[in-house]
Amino acid sequence: MTTSRENPATRSVDTQPPVAAPAPGTATNVRAATKPRRRRRRGATRAPVSLWLFLLPAVSLFVAFFVIPTIQAFQYSVTNWDGLSADFDYVGVGNFTNLVTNDSIFRKAVVNNLEFMVTVVVLQTLLSLLLALALVKNTRTSVLLRAVFFFPTILSSVSVAFIFSFVYDPTFGLANTLLTRVGLGSWAQPWLGDQTMAIYYIGLIQVWFHAGQMMVIYIAGLQSIPADLYESADVDGVSRWQRFRYITWPMSATATAIVVAYTTIQSFKAFDLIFALTGGGPNNSTEIISTLIYNTAFQNFTFGYAAAQSVIFIFVIGLITWAQRRAIARFQGEV
Amino acid sequence: MPTTPDPRFSRRHLLQLGGVAAVGTGLAACAGPGSTAAPEADASPAPGASAGAASGDINFYHWRAEDQQVLDEIIATFQEANSSVTVTQTIDPSSQYSSTAAQRARTGDIGDALTSFRGAQFEQFVDNDIYRDISDQPYLDLFVPALIEAGARDGVQYAVPYQLVFNMPLVNVDALEAAGVSEIPKDWPAYLAMLEALEGAGYIPIAFPGADLGNAGQYISTMAMNNGPSDDALALVEAGELKATDDWWIQSLTQFQEMSQYFQPNALGTQIDPAIALFAQGQAAILASGSYHVAAARAAGAEFPMDLAPPITTEPGELKYEGVYNATFMLGVNTATEQPEAANAWIGWLAEPENAAVYANGTSQHVTVADVEYENQDLAALQPWVTANTLLAPRFQFNNLDIRDAMENSLIAVSGGDSPEQAAEQAQTVIDEQLSS
Repeated sequence: MTTSRENPATRSVDTQPPVAAPAPGTATNVRAATKPRRRRRRGATRAPVSLWLFLLPAVSLFVAFFVIPTIQAFQYSVTNWDGLSADFDYVGVGNFTNLVTNDSIFRKAVVNNLEFMVTVVVLQTLLSLLLALALVKNTRTSVLLRAVFFFPTILSSVSVAFIFSFVYDPTFGLANTLLTRVGLGSWAQPWLGDQTMAIYYIGLIQVWFHAGQMMVIYIAGLQSIPADLYESADVDGVSRWQRFRYITWPMSATATAIVVAYTTIQSFKAFDLIFALTGGGPNNSTEIISTLIYNTAFQNFTFGYAAAQSVIFIFVIGLITWAQRRAIARFQGEV
Repeated sequence: MPTTPDPRFSRRHLLQLGGVAAVGTGLAACAGPGSTAAPEADASPAPGASAGAASGDINFYHWRAEDQQVLDEIIATFQEANSSVTVTQTIDPSSQYSSTAAQRARTGDIGDALTSFRGAQFEQFVDNDIYRDISDQPYLDLFVPALIEAGARDGVQYAVPYQLVFNMPLVNVDALEAAGVSEIPKDWPAYLAMLEALEGAGYIPIAFPGADLGNAGQYISTMAMNNGPSDDALALVEAGELKATDDWWIQSLTQFQEMSQYFQPNALGTQIDPAIALFAQGQAAILASGSYHVAAARAAGAEFPMDLAPPITTEPGELKYEGVYNATFMLGVNTATEQPEAANAWIGWLAEPENAAVYANGTSQHVTVADVEYENQDLAALQPWVTANTLLAPRFQFNNLDIRDAMENSLIAVSGGDSPEQAAEQAQTVIDEQLSS
């Protein structure tokens, strides 16, 4: 185990004099016995004040561009600010009450967001795990294919939206053209114009977009599993499924936790993709919370109300992330 | 072994968060809108100063990237005539302009002269003192008075609409002839007969950009122009005095659903550019858009003559209006500008008939300026619509865009298969929520 005394960088700042060993058997002596150790630990981890100055630029930026706007969102959420006026009125919890009880579009956006999240989390996790299992060995072909599958990740969201607006165009698009060419013209769809299915079709784009990125995380996780576990399993004559079920799956739980958490947050932040593809339409069927917040703020200029939506957005993400972490912690406890 | 961070929230975390929140709240109190003073009207000379007194560098802020070259030509002639003034253009995409123009222009750093859309954005500019009073500017006399009323409020002229557009929809005249249709129908049965004839002649009757509400939604104006109980029916919907579930709108939805059977397959997934392509290639006879897409259709290869074919929703002999027009691209002077004379001089220059003609012919847009000679063939073809019995587009009566979207989405819903009653009910639910919030 490494201690602070073994760290040469911290040893020089430990100026506490050595304390004589106390006589055993008394309460005073017991306190005296523990005190020097605590002092030494505090002294060992205390950094010179000047070192804190190195944090100042990053902390300043973080406070200016993250902490203050976040707190301002809470402040504005109880106002009727229009985003332009020099002043505003406080409306208490009126914005929140209206959102919860009197805003069917907001409720629709929340439901759409959850449908989108479930679609993306399930499909993206499965696909990236499958790709990782197929490409975990470091052969030339695997490395090449990893690069191919990772490629969409480096594209911008707007470029991806542009590509898929051509794929999904019902008249000239690739999807319906292919269906027609193979004799399945009756399966041609309006795709992003289908009010029931459009959110799922966008979910498929999101999976295509980011599965390669998640594959890399899984490959790192799979490659960290000790080979001797598999060798032992082979000696015991286990099947391929048993290898996956009892070794690969539980040992890649950390990677799964990262993939699921990242994908969840990503699916809530898919603003640019959805905004560029459908703008939330048709008939609000692809509206998610982030696109709704934008429209509320910059189309209707009700910034106070948009801030209230943002606050609820924060809590929804926080709640889902917390629930996921609990579920994963429980799952890891079981395995 | 894989581990997961402890998800529990400790007391120490709570104290840290509380400290950050306290500091942040204090800082937030120092920022935000409460400390941002609105730009006050400067003490510059009163509007109406002659172009000869103008000087300085001014910026013209708008959203018409497609007009940039023509405007550059007009700027060149303006600068020749006013050697002490220079004009630069700042152009944002239209959707970005809708959302951020007020914020960007209010400081006066850009947009000494600037534009707005008719309706909600114009109202926003006036409400936030972004537009200067131009009531006494001599160039107002150069416009057709009725066409610049949209730029006035409470008797004060804040802006002048520059473009005159006809909203819905464009028709391929050759296709009409091929289908044996000799004139644009003036009643609903004849309109449906025209669509049937076009289909029979092998055309997709209507190319509908159902995935682009900004264009598809323009149909709301033509559906309401004759069915609405009054010319301001959509404003009354927003005021809560009329409802989406009223008979006149149910009838509009029913007729729109009937018309939607003549859209191209899967039309709700079609964006505006593929719809223009269908029209320009001669596959579709009608483009559900307006005169503002004539130039785009030409650029996409359309070589046939074009006209407008607004849906007339009444029985024979009962029509009130033949079509819809809009007066937009509203030119005004920024309250925060330090060069109001130069900005007014620039707008005055655009209002000169010979310069307006350069703009109109170069951009295939009619203008609201009087006595302009249109040499562009498309403009000449659509010239009869300038004097036709048309209604100022009701779509822009909405100031609450959630209510407008709800009404327009009811059109989308019925073309997707919902019943008119169901679609109207959904729209009214949103409207009621908006009105009660």
